Amino acid sequence: MTTPGPRAAYWEYVDSLVLATALGTALWLIYTRRSRRGLIALSIFSLIYFGFYRKGCICSIGSVQNLAMALFDNGYAAPVSAIAFFALPVAVALFSGRAFCSGVCPHGALQDLILVKPLKVPTWLEQGLSVLPFIYLGAGVLFAATGTTFIICQYDPFVPIFRMSGRTFMVLSGVALLVLGMFVGRPYCRFLCPFGAILKLAGTVSARRVRVTPDLCTQCRLCEASCPFGAMRTPETGRPAPRDLPSERRQLTLALMVTPLLIFAGAWGGLKFSPTAAMLHPSVNLAHEFLANQGKPAPTGALSPADLELQRARQNPRETLVASAKVQHRFDMGTTLFGAWIGLVIGAKWISLRLRRTRTDYEPDRGDCVACARCFDYCPNELVRRGVISPVKEPATTTL
Amino acid sequence: MSTGASSGGPVNRRHFLRQGARTAALAGGGVLLGLLVGRTSARGTVWQIDPQKCVRCGNCATSCVLKQSAVKCVHAFSMCGYCQLCTGYFEPAPNDLNTGAENCQCPTAAIRRTYVEDPYYEYTIDERLCIGCAKCVEGCNQFGNGSLFLQIRHDRCLNCNECAIAKVCAGDAFRRVPVNQPYLLKAISH
Amino acid sequence: MRHDSMMKRRGFLKAASRGVGTLALGTVALSSTSKGLADSGKAPNPFAVELDHLRKVDPKLVLYETANLFPGRQTEPRRFCAAANGLLYVAGGKAVRILDLSGSEVRSIPCPDSVRAVAVAPDGLIYAAMSDHVEVFDAEGKPVSTWTSPGEKAWFSGLAAGKDDVYAADAGNRVVWRYDRKGQVRNRIGVKDAARGVPGLVVPSPYLQVALGRDGLLRVNNSGRHQIEVYTPEGDLEFHWGKAGGSIEGFCGCCNPIGFALLPDGRHLTCEKGVPRVKIYSAQGEFEGVVATPDLFPENSRPGQPRRSDGMLGGLDATVDAAGVIYVMDLVTGEIRSMKLKAPAPGTTAPQFKKEKA
Repeated sequence: MTTPGPRAAYWEYVDSLVLATALGTALWLIYTRRSRRGLIALSIFSLIYFGFYRKGCICSIGSVQNLAMALFDNGYAAPVSAIAFFALPVAVALFSGRAFCSGVCPHGALQDLILVKPLKVPTWLEQGLSVLPFIYLGAGVLFAATGTTFIICQYDPFVPIFRMSGRTFMVLSGVALLVLGMFVGRPYCRFLCPFGAILKLAGTVSARRVRVTPDLCTQCRLCEASCPFGAMRTPETGRPAPRDLPSERRQLTLALMVTPLLIFAGAWGGLKFSPTAAMLHPSVNLAHEFLANQGKPAPTGALSPADLELQRARQNPRETLVASAKVQHRFDMGTTLFGAWIGLVIGAKWISLRLRRTRTDYEPDRGDCVACARCFDYCPNELVRRGVISPVKEPATTTL
Repeated sequence: MSTGASSGGPVNRRHFLRQGARTAALAGGGVLLGLLVGRTSARGTVWQIDPQKCVRCGNCATSCVLKQSAVKCVHAFSMCGYCQLCTGYFEPAPNDLNTGAENCQCPTAAIRRTYVEDPYYEYTIDERLCIGCAKCVEGCNQFGNGSLFLQIRHDRCLNCNECAIAKVCAGDAFRRVPVNQPYLLKAISH
Repeated sequence: MRHDSMMKRRGFLKAASRGVGTLALGTVALSSTSKGLADSGKAPNPFAVELDHLRKVDPKLVLYETANLFPGRQTEPRRFCAAANGLLYVAGGKAVRILDLSGSEVRSIPCPDSVRAVAVAPDGLIYAAMSDHVEVFDAEGKPVSTWTSPGEKAWFSGLAAGKDDVYAADAGNRVVWRYDRKGQVRNRIGVKDAARGVPGLVVPSPYLQVALGRDGLLRVNNSGRHQIEVYTPEGDLEFHWGKAGGSIEGFCGCCNPIGFALLPDGRHLTCEKGVPRVKIYSAQGEFEGVVATPDLFPENSRPGQPRRSDGMLGGLDATVDAAGVIYVMDLVTGEIRSMKLKAPAPGTTAPQFKKEKA
């Protein structure tokens, strides 16, 4: 009997090293070279290496779950690669924005490369959908921390494409997202990706930011529609018209007051949701099946997987019920927190919509910008700097 | 009109807030990482099947993310009886002890039967053909010593972050094992 | 102008290549959807091994029914025997448990290792086989002696004691050791010997059993050949019977019978694993009927049950007491059931048993 060793042994370190190198390259391409073409090359590399060669496992998006499980399950220790894949992109984002998303993440790279004709997503839809990643993140952590399942991996739309096999449903959802992604920029990154949610928060407080041009912004508005991901922000005074001030104040106060209520309501709803959510855990599900089938005769003949599971429960009824009760207890806690989290996310979104910011230039939003470098090419100053076009001889006579 | 950090009160305040949040995130992340790194094993883990818990539900053949499952049957020769009438190889009541498909358990003819000496035969698994359906494992366990059993073959396994078979395993037999001991082999014991 | 047209061409090529790429990806993804969404759920296992047809027994062939059912009071039961003194000796765990015929425990004899088999000599001495040697106790359970082991490979799984000899079935060495009452080996039985016409014992799983008939001949189950062989104490093969097959008169699976006992009139009681059933054969090996059907042992050989790596848990064992009552022990549940002849159904005649030949 042969026992071939696992591939994972040294690959963990190779992957972490490649990730670190790719992140470094991305930073250099974004901030020093300011090269869209370079980022495309990096995207292709990441897509081939992390995607098609390493088959998308392990990836940063899923690593959140490994960390959550490692924190709450004493029997599980997160592998080095999971920690590296989580920590490196977040650390980079804290200082220099979402360089990971730009061309290192194979999911982002894939969607970025297939974007043919970006359509603008209506603002209301964009803002509404942008809370989904945070909720998905909460759900991913909840189910990982309870040891139920890694839903982010289970419902990953692109890994079946990288592997060229998978459950039909997931393959179809991957294809659907790809087709959608030809017209809507990075739909998974913007409206689903739970790791993107974390990087968005980190990017919001980053030290360095992506700018359309390092030179003077002439406010020519050429870059205004350049961002296919809805991250471009226009200049703002930060002050509403005096007429609107009272109503805006009222609305902000309302949002601030309602948010705690949302959190409590979420927590309450979460607790109510606990038994349903816990049914996703195999132990709880088995215990329910066991109780439902008590007294019924044991099936005979060729047994289905479900019959075999039931048989296992019947042979250890006590263990089955104890295991289930333990998980249910964890779920009560987990879903309460998850509900509160949903309340907080919605509340925070609401508050953020009611806040005004001072912005002098056209600039990408720190959180939303995935540093794809597309807008660079739209800036005449940038093109002059790079020598693509020649500078205007006499100073502009037109005023803005 | 130029860089945001240098001009204006609210921008400076925001700059300060941002820096504070970043420091807090770094400190929090540092504590979290410290916790995790302290607990992590330098070696990673891989998935494996505990043969003592396996109930031969058939999911290994159908639920792996690979087209051909990474789970294969393996043979603990030290436990094998080298039976002439192997119930892993033959149907429970074969018409004849020959390689006719109607007599054999394996749906892909992945078991090779070779004559050793009267009345002993050796059974080897052709891993290229085996789909991990566990039919032979069940046959061997029902009548014989259970020398045939399933293992994840790590030359094939992608070591998914979450094993798709583990989620549906009827025997709850899948678990993560240290990468330096990636197999849970059966062995004979008195 | 040149610049413009170049941009256009490049833009067109870019868009085209993206379109083609996406189409290719989509095709690949669609073509790889061979796997169904069919999550196991309640779906049957397409690879299940169907044994039900073997487990069904024609009720007309069933001659016995359960008279009494009691626990064998043994963890990991392996073999048991009924002695002339009217007690049952159950081997297993790390003790020999002695029960009366209704199942109450009379005595327990602790042993140094797990007990694989037990036999009681006509004078009352108790022989208990550990995996590689025999321990001797007096009738009260006091240790008398410990015999030397025939070696590391030894794996005792059956024991029979006569007036002058003790026979130990050794599955590891595929031989029956004939000991004198002091523990000295007198000869070996069942070793492959073409000159004497002995085919050799084939023991795929460690259930080799030996029984001593009132005629002074030994019966040994050659389970790998699906036969019962009859030897003289000197090791000459007198005759053998039995054939493989799933049908009721054959021995099913790879290696059966795993146990047997002799009725006072010389008829054979055989036990099978896989399809757990107890059958009765004439002294010459003609099938007579069924004593216990597979449905009496629902816990035995369920699909999907793990088999322990020592290979000898599960299955059945049977014994017959001095009065000719049959006892069957389920090695999974540890329950012992005594069997009695069924009352003949109206309109049929009771089965006629052949008398033992002289």
